Amino acid sequence: MTTVTTSKGGAPVPFRGLSRLSQEQMVGIMVLVLLIVFSLALPGFATLSNLLGLVRSISILGILGLGMGLIVISRGIDLSEVAIMAGSWCVALIANRHGVPALWTAVLALAIALVIGAINGLAVAFMEVPALFVTLATTFVVYGVAYWIAPVYVVYAPQGEAALLFAGRGALFGIPMPIFVFAAAALLVYAFLSRTSIGRFIYAQGDNPEAARFSGIALRPMIMLEHSLVAALAWLAGLVWIGQTGSMQMTIVQGTQIFDVILVVVLGGISLVGGRGGVFSVVVGCALIGTLLNAFTIMDVNSEVQNIIRGLVLLGAIILDNWLHPRDDETARQGD
Amino acid sequence: MTKTSVLDHASEHREPASPREPVLSIQKGSKIYGGVHAIEGVDFDLYTGEVHALVGENGAGKSTLCKAIAGAIRLTSGSYCVDGGPVDFQSPRDALTSGICMVYQETSLVPTMTAAQNIELGNEKLITRFRTLNIAAQQLLQSLNFHVDPATPVALLGSAKRQMVEIARAIYNRARIIIFDEPTASLTPEEILHFFNLVRDLRARGVAIIYISHALEESLQISDRITVLRDGKLVVTARTADMTREKLVRYMVGRDITQTYYGRHRGPDDTHHAREKVLTVENVTMGAMVKNMSFSVYAGEVVGIAGLIGSGRSEIAKIIFGALKRNLINGGMIYLRGRPIRYRVPKQAINDGICYITEDRKQNGFFETMRIDDNIYVSRLATRRGFRLLLSRATRSRLANYWVERLNIAALQRKARIVELSGGNQQKVVIAKSLVQEPSIIIFDEPTRGVDVGTIPQIHAQIRKLADEGKAVLVISSYLPEILAVSDRILVARLGRIVAEFDAATATEHKIMYAAIH
Repeated sequence: MTTVTTSKGGAPVPFRGLSRLSQEQMVGIMVLVLLIVFSLALPGFATLSNLLGLVRSISILGILGLGMGLIVISRGIDLSEVAIMAGSWCVALIANRHGVPALWTAVLALAIALVIGAINGLAVAFMEVPALFVTLATTFVVYGVAYWIAPVYVVYAPQGEAALLFAGRGALFGIPMPIFVFAAAALLVYAFLSRTSIGRFIYAQGDNPEAARFSGIALRPMIMLEHSLVAALAWLAGLVWIGQTGSMQMTIVQGTQIFDVILVVVLGGISLVGGRGGVFSVVVGCALIGTLLNAFTIMDVNSEVQNIIRGLVLLGAIILDNWLHPRDDETARQGD
Repeated sequence: MTKTSVLDHASEHREPASPREPVLSIQKGSKIYGGVHAIEGVDFDLYTGEVHALVGENGAGKSTLCKAIAGAIRLTSGSYCVDGGPVDFQSPRDALTSGICMVYQETSLVPTMTAAQNIELGNEKLITRFRTLNIAAQQLLQSLNFHVDPATPVALLGSAKRQMVEIARAIYNRARIIIFDEPTASLTPEEILHFFNLVRDLRARGVAIIYISHALEESLQISDRITVLRDGKLVVTARTADMTREKLVRYMVGRDITQTYYGRHRGPDDTHHAREKVLTVENVTMGAMVKNMSFSVYAGEVVGIAGLIGSGRSEIAKIIFGALKRNLINGGMIYLRGRPIRYRVPKQAINDGICYITEDRKQNGFFETMRIDDNIYVSRLATRRGFRLLLSRATRSRLANYWVERLNIAALQRKARIVELSGGNQQKVVIAKSLVQEPSIIIFDEPTRGVDVGTIPQIHAQIRKLADEGKAVLVISSYLPEILAVSDRILVARLGRIVAEFDAATATEHKIMYAAIH
């Protein structure tokens, strides 16, 4: 959310200086402060290997977050993102076991992901079912179908296929590949959202779908495109995932991973009302969560406490945003 | 703007209240937002049994003053007395306890609750018996002479009846001072007449009323005294009997504004028959809203469509634009330069050079998170000719500069966010968003609704300029002086049909209104 520096109106705001910052800038500063604090307080935190590990650990979350961020900006949502990631790769890896070569495995996974994305998009755009319900339903269907095709909880990736695992396991100049993949994806999505007209249309659609329609933006193709892009990013996250873990498991669909994805998106200032935030929001959201989790691991905080803190951080970010950028009727009715 | 200009016959002015103690008074009231005075040193007083109109352009400080009175905000400085004693309301709740109630423009009722529940809203007992509640509400509504069924959900009530429920709620809360913010904006002329009777009735009961309205005719008609604000400062408080529309406008704007009648200056040889027929609408039907509507529009003329709310005038515009769909069977035909058209989405209409400038810019006119230049540029990108995949900053600033210049948009910087602009400037941006798509047919729906008095002539001049450039322009408006000012030809819609057509030279407000109602 951008700051409203109002000429007339606008309720008096606490800490005027702070309130000029957008939420993503505030979270960014928070990350810097935490990094400094943890570097001073925790032995072993400020080492290169730990910091690389930190970024590596958030890269999958980050890639998923880019997709979710993109669709949330358009005022949509895709709860099936994790299911698309797991489902497409599980089926493709099974095919790989039956002799499909590495390249075609990846292509097959991408094709499956895009088909699911297209189905989501069709249902949302043409049948006009709310995205929340469509993608929730897709999650269950994908889980069921994938488990039916591959009735095992964990599908192991073939250890011999170095090409397939490189994105998650490899390293370049001593820097783990997932970091490069995340960075490349972030740059691409950034360029798409901020430098192309289609990206502008996504913001327009999220800001005010009716106004976008009246401006001559065809919403249905846009919705199709957005759901397909989410699916493609889910596929990319899956590529990194199988490299990192050497397997893909359908059970993650039933876990809370999707909430983590929404958490990093919302944390960085991509509002669920649409049209606000950007790639930087996802990056800082991920950085905040990654930093906290990494520090907790070093401090040996147990996972229950970690979950509690994760929830509190989200609540805190939202409350802080509301406090610093009050959207009372004074700002809403501006220009009346 | 409104339709009451034809209702002037009911004018009545009473002497203001005797030199009693004012029930409410504000002295040297100021409110500062972020270093800027929203109101500055305003004196305001109100007597029992008085209707006090508050007029001024957008941003003049009317809303700020009323919010301060209703306790929604606190004055930065100045004294605020009720019944002679100083008060300092912390919240609207406190003001309500003192009998001050604001009836908002956007109604604050809960649509799913019944009228009776809404009246009681905020005063619920722990356990409510619906029967008792309904009987109490019925008694209250009857005592006010409102014909509203207390058991009906508010969502099913029309805007006039919703307003009655709001007023009943104010009375239920023992309001002695009621603030009306644009109460007639969504009412039909008959409903406005009824509303005025109601206001007079409240006044007779000793309620003090503050009346905010954009429609000067209304304020002149209903009020006892008028206060004019400009740029947050008090210009004048005077007895309504001493005021005229011209004087009011002069006070509001700080200069004279003359009404220009563009349509009437055209010579008789300059009729539309010599021109190209651009758009033909034949027997277009959509549900119960539009029935067998037929008309044509020629290049280089402004066609005004007058009519009440619900006459199908906005609907026909949206059908032409592709935002609504006419009936598939027996839906009639629309021809664009002889070619039959039926659009699924507005995009197709825009690519064919038709644009529609919305009546409700907040709802669907602009993108509030975007800057002025982005708003204009996105519209350009959405056209077939203007589309390019990669954004160009040069094009964006060129377009923004051109339109800010041409429409005289008062923005200190092109990068200002659109919500920071006044209503008039927002409307100009919305107009720019459409004109940047290079249309040949332009449909304006309520082009000056919520636009400050000073900006209205500018928008009218732009409408005229478009027609002079050879474009076909349709102007839909409830405000008859506007229709008369800009149109070459005037169509009147009623109950989904075009029922009359007038030449600008021969049309009068009475003729149009007669056709629109009877």
